[in-house]
Amino acid sequence: MWYNKGVDLLTVTVPARESDGQPHTLMAIAGEADVTNREDLRGAFDAEVALEPHMLIVDLSGLRFMDSSALHVILQANRALDRHGGMMALVAPQEAVAKMLRLTTADRLVPVFRSVADAVAG
Amino acid sequence: MYREPLMPDEASTAYPDAFQRPVSGEGATPASAVTLTFTTDLAAVRGLVEEYARKTGLSEPRIVDLVLAVSEIAANTVRHAKSAGNLAIWHSKNEIVCEMRDKGHISDPLAGTRPPDAEALGGHGLWLVNQVCDQVEIRSGTGGTTIRLHMLLGSPRA
Repeated sequence: MWYNKGVDLLTVTVPARESDGQPHTLMAIAGEADVTNREDLRGAFDAEVALEPHMLIVDLSGLRFMDSSALHVILQANRALDRHGGMMALVAPQEAVAKMLRLTTADRLVPVFRSVADAVAG
Repeated sequence: MYREPLMPDEASTAYPDAFQRPVSGEGATPASAVTLTFTTDLAAVRGLVEEYARKTGLSEPRIVDLVLAVSEIAANTVRHAKSAGNLAIWHSKNEIVCEMRDKGHISDPLAGTRPPDAEALGGHGLWLVNQVCDQVEIRSGTGGTTIRLHMLLGSPRA
């Protein structure tokens, strides 16, 4: 899956899927996520959540910016996962994204790890 | 966060509702201000503000704050105002000011001053703006909304 709006505004890739026999699903969000591309982001999350992974790891290392509408998409996906017993982990947010997660206390709802390996280790 | 004390000349009967008064010094957007009209290109809005703030010497953590605040307000314009938004940015010796205008109307004078529930799926935007800026002035009436964000230069707050 690959989304690209305009310049390199938002890119979503899925390097690993539980449904392909991987131990977890890994999504990587890169670029800038805001109200103007949130439906693309929502579509990407909906597609993965529909596969009901036990563990959805979201690599944020390439995400330069996220606004509150992108955060809401992530929180909605987290809630949907939770309903069928799945877990979400956020990995390696850059400073701007980490700050937004702290200020909104979203980092208390969704655990944040330094690396994919840390997230897998829990 | 506190709201700008109203300027003496604003305390007139022309605006019985303080929320609808012009922001301090309105009409005095300096000629040196850099301006941008935007509809949906929020990346351009963020890019302009980031570049201006860096050139002006705002610290990197505060640049992150200002870019977030400006983007959240511009996002509100995209979502609610049904009009283009206007950004003006300028600085003095002490501060950077970002002025954002649109034709939308914010009916709640306390919008953004209460922390939303972390699980709430809305309402974080203006609250975040109030968290990261040194000062936020919001004026809104039927004619539109003007918001001024102030960031002190040389402030260690991060």
